Amino acid sequence: MTPSEGTPFPLASPMDGAPRPPAADAPPFGRSASALRRRLRADRLATLVVTAGGVGIVASILAILVFIVAEVLPLIYPARVETAAELPLAGGAARALDADPYRTHVAALGADGVLRVISLGNGSVVAEKSILPAGAALAQADASQADVFAASTEDGRVILTSLDWHADFATGSRKVTASIGESRVLQLDAGGKALRAFAARLVDDRGPVAVGQLADGSLATVAVVREENAFTGAVTESEERTRSEPVAPLSALVLDDAGRNLFGGDAEGRLLWWRLADGKLSEPQIRAGEAPGVSALALLIGGRSLVVGRESGALETWSLVPDRDLGSALTRIHALPGFAETVTRIVPSWRDKGFFASSRSGDLGLFHSTSEQLLWQDRAPLPDVSAIAYSPRGDTVYVAGGGELAVLDVDNPHPEISLGTLFSRVWYEGYPEPTYVWQSSSGSDDFEPKLSLVPLLVGTLKGTLYSLLIAIPLGVFGAMYVANFMAPRLKQIVKPTIEIMAALPSVVLGFLAGLWLAPRLEQLFPALLLMILLFPVLVIGAGIAWDRVPARLRSKLPVGVEALFFILVLAVGILLSILASGPIERLAFGGDFQAWLLGTTGLPYDQRNAIVVGLAMGFAVIPIIFAISEDAFANVPASLVSGSLALGANRWQTVTQIVLPTASPGIFSAVMVGFGRAVGETMIVLMATGNTPILDWNPFNGFRTLSANIAVEIPEAPQFGTLYRVLFLAALLLFALTFVLNTVAEVVRQRLRRRYAEL
Amino acid sequence: MTADEKRRRRTERLGQAFTWLCGGALALNLLLTMALLALIAVNGLGYFWPKKITLLTMTDGSARLGEIQETEEIPGSDGATRTRVKVGNRDVTGADFVWVDDADVRSRSLPADATLLERLEWGNFYGAPVELRRGDEVLASGPEPVVRAVGEILPQRIAERAALQALERGQIGDVNREIEQLRLADRRLDLDRLTEAEHARRRAEIQQEMEVHRQEYERLAEQLFARREALAAETLVMRTADGGTRDVVLGEVVRVVQPNALGVLDSLGLYASRVWEFVSDDPRESNTEGGIFPAIFGTVMMVFILSFVVAPFGVLAALYLREYAPQGPLVRLVRIAVNNLAGVPSIVFGVFGLGFFVYLIGGTIDQVFFPEALPAPTFGTGGIVWASLTLALLTVPVVIVATEEGLASVPRNVREGSLALGATKFETTWRVVLPAAAPGIMTGLILAMARAAGEVAPLMIVGMVKLAPTLPIDGQFPFVHLERKFMHLGFHIYDVGFQSPNVEAAQPLVFATALLLVLVVTTMNLAAILLRNRLRAKYATSPV
Repeated sequence: MTPSEGTPFPLASPMDGAPRPPAADAPPFGRSASALRRRLRADRLATLVVTAGGVGIVASILAILVFIVAEVLPLIYPARVETAAELPLAGGAARALDADPYRTHVAALGADGVLRVISLGNGSVVAEKSILPAGAALAQADASQADVFAASTEDGRVILTSLDWHADFATGSRKVTASIGESRVLQLDAGGKALRAFAARLVDDRGPVAVGQLADGSLATVAVVREENAFTGAVTESEERTRSEPVAPLSALVLDDAGRNLFGGDAEGRLLWWRLADGKLSEPQIRAGEAPGVSALALLIGGRSLVVGRESGALETWSLVPDRDLGSALTRIHALPGFAETVTRIVPSWRDKGFFASSRSGDLGLFHSTSEQLLWQDRAPLPDVSAIAYSPRGDTVYVAGGGELAVLDVDNPHPEISLGTLFSRVWYEGYPEPTYVWQSSSGSDDFEPKLSLVPLLVGTLKGTLYSLLIAIPLGVFGAMYVANFMAPRLKQIVKPTIEIMAALPSVVLGFLAGLWLAPRLEQLFPALLLMILLFPVLVIGAGIAWDRVPARLRSKLPVGVEALFFILVLAVGILLSILASGPIERLAFGGDFQAWLLGTTGLPYDQRNAIVVGLAMGFAVIPIIFAISEDAFANVPASLVSGSLALGANRWQTVTQIVLPTASPGIFSAVMVGFGRAVGETMIVLMATGNTPILDWNPFNGFRTLSANIAVEIPEAPQFGTLYRVLFLAALLLFALTFVLNTVAEVVRQRLRRRYAEL
Repeated sequence: MTADEKRRRRTERLGQAFTWLCGGALALNLLLTMALLALIAVNGLGYFWPKKITLLTMTDGSARLGEIQETEEIPGSDGATRTRVKVGNRDVTGADFVWVDDADVRSRSLPADATLLERLEWGNFYGAPVELRRGDEVLASGPEPVVRAVGEILPQRIAERAALQALERGQIGDVNREIEQLRLADRRLDLDRLTEAEHARRRAEIQQEMEVHRQEYERLAEQLFARREALAAETLVMRTADGGTRDVVLGEVVRVVQPNALGVLDSLGLYASRVWEFVSDDPRESNTEGGIFPAIFGTVMMVFILSFVVAPFGVLAALYLREYAPQGPLVRLVRIAVNNLAGVPSIVFGVFGLGFFVYLIGGTIDQVFFPEALPAPTFGTGGIVWASLTLALLTVPVVIVATEEGLASVPRNVREGSLALGATKFETTWRVVLPAAAPGIMTGLILAMARAAGEVAPLMIVGMVKLAPTLPIDGQFPFVHLERKFMHLGFHIYDVGFQSPNVEAAQPLVFATALLLVLVVTTMNLAAILLRNRLRAKYATSPV
């Protein structure tokens, strides 16, 4: 610490004591009492301004951390679900529910087969229509397809009815109306018996598809095939029917969006998967389990994840996973914390991979499949839950039970984030195994965001590692030479040059690395290897040659010649390496280094790779490491050095046994600071790598760092969205990492300085 | 010789070798720095020098005309070479560059009439002049008369083009802006609570005014189109290397050069004119040609705003920490924290700037003052003021640290002398300490400005764009538009070098931009180093 720091003003300043009366021979500052008062007022004001300003500025600088943390924190807030309203539901207990996007109406299918559109404002029925054919009685119903009600009747028919919500803004305020479409009736059981389980969909471009298990255990399918005559535009419809071999009684059946994959579960705990193509039902793939019976099934948005609820209350996610023998295999990819009692209903969200589920004991839970989280759980607000519906926007859940409807507010902004999804392997749907992936967005709405920070962290460390491999030796050894062996006059040229090196904008380095160095290195890679081998030989050779120059001659030369000589030798060496690159490539690598690399080690060679980044970022880090280590070397007390030399140690022994150990904490802190710089560097890695978030340590491959990832993705991330907050988390990690590294380095350096002062 | 002595010898030799290794490391650092600077300088300066146009006659009878770029060995062949030629004529051939196998070249020559046309669009054109026409009338024919005639007419056309641009940006821009203002005023009417009658009256007023402006716009636009047509009156008929002819509208030509016939003086003149164009003109062809004036302007203005923020606040904080705060572990802690903030990655500041300045503060300003423009943001999007403030946060530690160093280097007896003479603490600080520490403050400020000029990553998030149509300062009230997006030298390098459609053709320009940036940053840093050395020499006792 500096000597002036202890007590800055040992003399009492005038403001400390009482104002002194102006003397006869007044000081040049003020001549009267009023002037003195003015001066003292000014002084007090200045103290106030400086203190307030200083504290304010320091606080606001430190507030950066607070702000970033505040942006990240909502990621870990639990979901909130609250009952906003309860109203009586016309038509009694609803068997299926559908909601409009505006939170003004719901449509409820009653046990009497009547579909009622109910205003949430006052519970009045604004439209109603029976969807059942005359004389039929409702058996089962569901609304797992958006705005489509599916029902089966006691006589083995399946009914599909669509519903359209319209919003009219013409009058200045919004007016929502619903129109109930014509029912499609499909006869599944010619015998007229009730179906055990059924699944039905209106497939967009084809028409209705329905599957049901008949009383004998066989599955019957009906698909309406609509064909449009290309010339006349006339549409003809025909029905395709199949019947499968009987299977055990199914407790649940679901069909995917396209009507191509059919999943079922039975009371033995088995899961069955059929393909439905060209009107035919394939042999089922059966996943037998010791598990308790399946009580509920649902497909999450996108139709690639099957949520399975069991009689034990367990909840699992299964997905079709690539398999070497089977092509695709139905595999369990997630196990979620479930209920204590049988799962009765699973209602997927329309926006993400989350879902609501209810249990027989009347519990209600909000889950997320990817992150395997139970986000919220409580007793259902109504007894005897008969239907649940998610609003299209995902901010409301409607629960029907008894003769009532409960409207639940759902605040669940970041369900896909947990420590697990950020930092561990996650089994994403359709992936062969759990893995680390960063893929934040895609073109489709039903995409499963993959927000693992691990590939980015590894990329960051990879870039840092390769740059430090270059920067540490060059920086530390260079500093050692400057501090211990160099003429002071030369130092005055060398040190500013290194400072200029530090000041070079990283965008320029990145540009040179990406557009100038990378294509050249691709062609001349053997030259780099040769240079690394040649370097020690050349410099030591040059040193010995320099020693052989007669001392008489040497003393006559100006000081800088030695340095120039070395630089010249190195330049010639680099030139030679470049010239020799072609022949060496032919001799050692069969004429093509890249092909040799791929053939021998299996590593691919990317043009913009970690070595290019290492060279460019190393160049940026060298001056930092140099400056701090030079400081540490130069400040080793002269008494130590002269003592060692006086005792007969030579220069080398003094440096290795006295200077180096004494200065080693300084070198440590130099490396720390250099590490911090490399970790956060953005432009160089952005420009000199391919920016693909892959996870490997191959030096000939590109990578993506945390910092480059932020630069690439945050302009496109919607404010307060999950991606936005995760990128803030990445920034927080960078902040914390560099702050800790720099603090450690600074503390070490201060301690070192104190030790030097004591020596 | 004893064993001990032998060991001693060995370590001495080893030590010698190691010393040379250290020297080698240092020499390599210096060599790399110099090589890098030289690389940028050579490529950047070479960009402006007129290159000869070579005519390559091929063995199959065809020909290529263009600038020779480089020659290299064909990969996988035995000693065969190929040459990259910039043949330009993108509108004819589709690509600026071709590779030519040297084995296929029968002869090379430098025809005197080979002419390079720098154009507003489609890049360079290489060919030989045939005719200059105005409509069907032939004004000149044959290479020399054409060049002479062009030499007379082209300056007029260039002046006319500048006038048209002024019209477009000036009067037409004004009218457009007024119309936009009226549209916003109209929207504002719906937001303000007004009586029905008042509402209707004001709306009618606005509509009326709008109509006047619309007519004005129509009139100006008509004028513009007529003059544009006149500008396109002359066509230059050029012969390309393969013998075909091509019409080039003279109004779209920037410069006509016959580099093979140029003397050294002419070349120097052309060089100067190109350098001037580079620093003073707007970019063309999505930034890959023309000048970088808006980028220079944006960078300078950003650094300017930044220094206005950073200087007072940095000095205030340093004064507090060094002179006013009770020295103790807390202040030491704060000092370390401030120091370390300089080492926090710049992208983190960018993220903060986006979340805090742009979204929070900018969004609030928009809601309070510019509700009529929503949802189109005014301040709630990246802009020069947010970029400057973000960089101010990034660089304020630099100023604080340097100022503190400056304050610490003022010897204690100077302060004590002032206090002993009866000056208050404020007077001592203001009249004695601060002036003495001025070089330190300047050093910090210059370093901060240099850092800000070279920093790109945070700016990509908080306000930079590829191409800003308007400068942040212009003749429009209120003259300084802090909310505008701007161009920046560093971002220009990234954008043109990596995101432009024609990276290969743009590379020389990027080198020139990089040279300018490096020059600016290096000069500032050297100035700071000199200042600091002077400060240290003045108070040689200063602790570091």
